[in-house]
Amino acid sequence: MKKSLAICAVIAGLFVTQAVLASGSIEAGKQKSQTCAACHGANGISTSDQFPILAGQYRDYLIQALHEYQKGDRKNPIMAGMAKPLSEQDIQDLAAYFSSLPGPLEMLPRGR
Amino acid sequence: MRSRSFAIVLACATAAVSLAANAAGDPAQGKIDAAPCLGCHGIEDYVNVYPTYRVPRLGGQHAAYIVQALKEYKSEDRDHKTMHAQASSLTEQQMEDIAAYFQSLGNQDNGKH
Repeated sequence: MKKSLAICAVIAGLFVTQAVLASGSIEAGKQKSQTCAACHGANGISTSDQFPILAGQYRDYLIQALHEYQKGDRKNPIMAGMAKPLSEQDIQDLAAYFSSLPGPLEMLPRGR
Repeated sequence: MRSRSFAIVLACATAAVSLAANAAGDPAQGKIDAAPCLGCHGIEDYVNVYPTYRVPRLGGQHAAYIVQALKEYKSEDRDHKTMHAQASSLTEQQMEDIAAYFQSLGNQDNGKH
């Protein structure tokens, strides 16, 4: 009985960990984003037009982009260096933070 | 001699001006050339599959970055089959035009540039 309770607790624990990972923490992302600000701006709105605006971009796209830089599916010497040391939790947190910021980005207008 | 070097200077200046015009991009032409982009980037929450993620919001994005990204898709420095096909069909001028159009969009009151 005690054993099955322990198993249940472990399984529940796994689900909770997964949920935290999947959502990312905006607050933690803000803390971790200081390096990004040099190019992508203090609020995710870059002043140099060489670097993309990140504020308000889709969270899952930001995660995908960081994974691609990390794996080398996007070959960019600057971003490769930035993405390499990031843990999966770091990526989730940064994406949660930047996607939460207000910015100019929108989908393209149709039929206008 | 003098008039010849003047002609060379003039030619260089003209080339520089046309390069600058090239770099600026024409948003009106870009709007026309951007029609294929709307199939994915014009639909809120449109999802890329394998892997699954929402395709990026491009309205209001910086033009220079868009041009760079398109060139990287074309050269396959960015690995994405659909975007490689799309970017490969574009001239550099078309990339500039499309990028100028994208930059002109977006929520301009929300911290634009």
